[in-house]
Amino acid sequence: MADTLPATRFNPWPATIFTILCVLAVLFLLPTVGVLLSSIKTTREISMGELWSLPASLYLGNFAEVLGNPAVHQYFLNTLLVTLPATAVSITLGALAGYVFAKLPFRGSNVLFLGIVAGMFFPPQVILVPLFRLFNGIGLIDTLWPVIIVHSALGLPICVLMMRNFFATVPNALREAAIMEGASEWQVLTRVVLPLSLPALAVLATLQFTWIWNDFLWPLIFTQSDDKRTIMIGIVNLKGQYSVAWGVQGALSLVASLPTLLVFLFFQRFFIKGMTMGAVKG
Amino acid sequence: MAQLQLSDLRKSFGPVEVIKGLDLDIADGEFVVFVGPSGCGKSTTLRMIAGLEDATSGTIRLDSHDVTRTRPADRGIAMVFQSYALFPHMTVADNIGFGLQLRKQDRAMISKRVAEVAETLQLTPLLARYPRELSGGQRQRVAIGRAIIRNPRVFLFDEPLSNLDAALRVQMRLEIARLHQRLGATMVYVTHDQVEAMTLADRIVVFNEGRIEQVGSPMELYEHPANRFVAGFIGAPSMNFLPVRVTGVQIESPA
Repeated sequence: MADTLPATRFNPWPATIFTILCVLAVLFLLPTVGVLLSSIKTTREISMGELWSLPASLYLGNFAEVLGNPAVHQYFLNTLLVTLPATAVSITLGALAGYVFAKLPFRGSNVLFLGIVAGMFFPPQVILVPLFRLFNGIGLIDTLWPVIIVHSALGLPICVLMMRNFFATVPNALREAAIMEGASEWQVLTRVVLPLSLPALAVLATLQFTWIWNDFLWPLIFTQSDDKRTIMIGIVNLKGQYSVAWGVQGALSLVASLPTLLVFLFFQRFFIKGMTMGAVKG
Repeated sequence: MAQLQLSDLRKSFGPVEVIKGLDLDIADGEFVVFVGPSGCGKSTTLRMIAGLEDATSGTIRLDSHDVTRTRPADRGIAMVFQSYALFPHMTVADNIGFGLQLRKQDRAMISKRVAEVAETLQLTPLLARYPRELSGGQRQRVAIGRAIIRNPRVFLFDEPLSNLDAALRVQMRLEIARLHQRLGATMVYVTHDQVEAMTLADRIVVFNEGRIEQVGSPMELYEHPANRFVAGFIGAPSMNFLPVRVTGVQIESPA
């Protein structure tokens, strides 16, 4: 069969795209490889050798130092205390608001929706000083509260936008059928619409978790004492007084990026299409 | 089992009045079919009976109780949608039992009722499947199963067969007729398919531009249309209209 087919003309596109993607992948991975290489070298080896050389022997002392450091434990705990509530709050509010905008529009709801989405266009630098003064005024500086509140609020536009647009793809007939069966709006949301929106929820959870976990700016502004710092600032704090502890910082960078990777791996199974297939029509 | 009464029912969307005052009595156990051209208000009327649309004015009475402002779930009405509207993330059994689950009924009771309903609709082997794994006719039967499990007083059908192919449509039409015979429930059925209307209905209601043109049994409408619209709408091939001149007791065709 195959050998009777006429020779297809050579198509250069797949090969070109593949090459470009490989180059990009290498470019993106190189810094990580660099950090990985530093993290398994001794400080002496780092200061002597080049960045890209392979270590003479596998040195795990940096990781031991990072994992055994009580300050690092506190950084991790603080970051979790910020990331989990802020992610949960922004997604919950996004789902609730998105449901109203998608399924229960009222007079002026589109303008309100645009207003919320427009919140995305404020650069953090613009709101940074007012927010600092606000939280300073109410005495919340050097606690985790401002970080949680600001991240919840900043996550709202994207969460509302995503959830509204996803809910809009859930057929109205499903809501009406559920209502005919006796469901309240809350039951329509929790028992019909949200289970069908798992892909959107998974995307948002991954995005929000990663973004809040990796954030450097807000905890830097709102916290001061070392036991209130989050992990990304902790990495900087680990530098020594007279020298930079490249190896230790490299090790912590890798450890600190593990949770986001785990979250992605956990949620990616929900990134599936066609959840509403079979709902309507034949 | 219930009788349904619409009095001076009106519906406006903004400044546009789409239902211009309907009066209709539907007897207990009657099978009434709404027909009419697209946009004539038959689906809107059905949705008002269901409670999915609010009536602008007028009343809807069920067994002489005013239900015009009652929540859909409390009216004791079930509806079968044109698009079936099955919940894609639930199995056939969960789809059929959804209404009972919402009422926090006993699990064992729900599965018993689901099994009974599935039996009558020949869905028993499909109970564990998801809607995407069903054919169009099977999905339609699940939608009907979801409607009948709560023993509603009135069934509403919104063009339930228009997504099925011709052969299946005939078969499902027969099943709906049998269902009506067995349950003896009041049914209101919207269609634009005249054959469905003529074969299923005890009485047909012909809609045009938000008004009722005529109400009557299929043969009454066919033999004695009340006006030219009904005459032209009922019957396939449709009636011929010729311009004529009346001369005394005779008429004369100019052609």
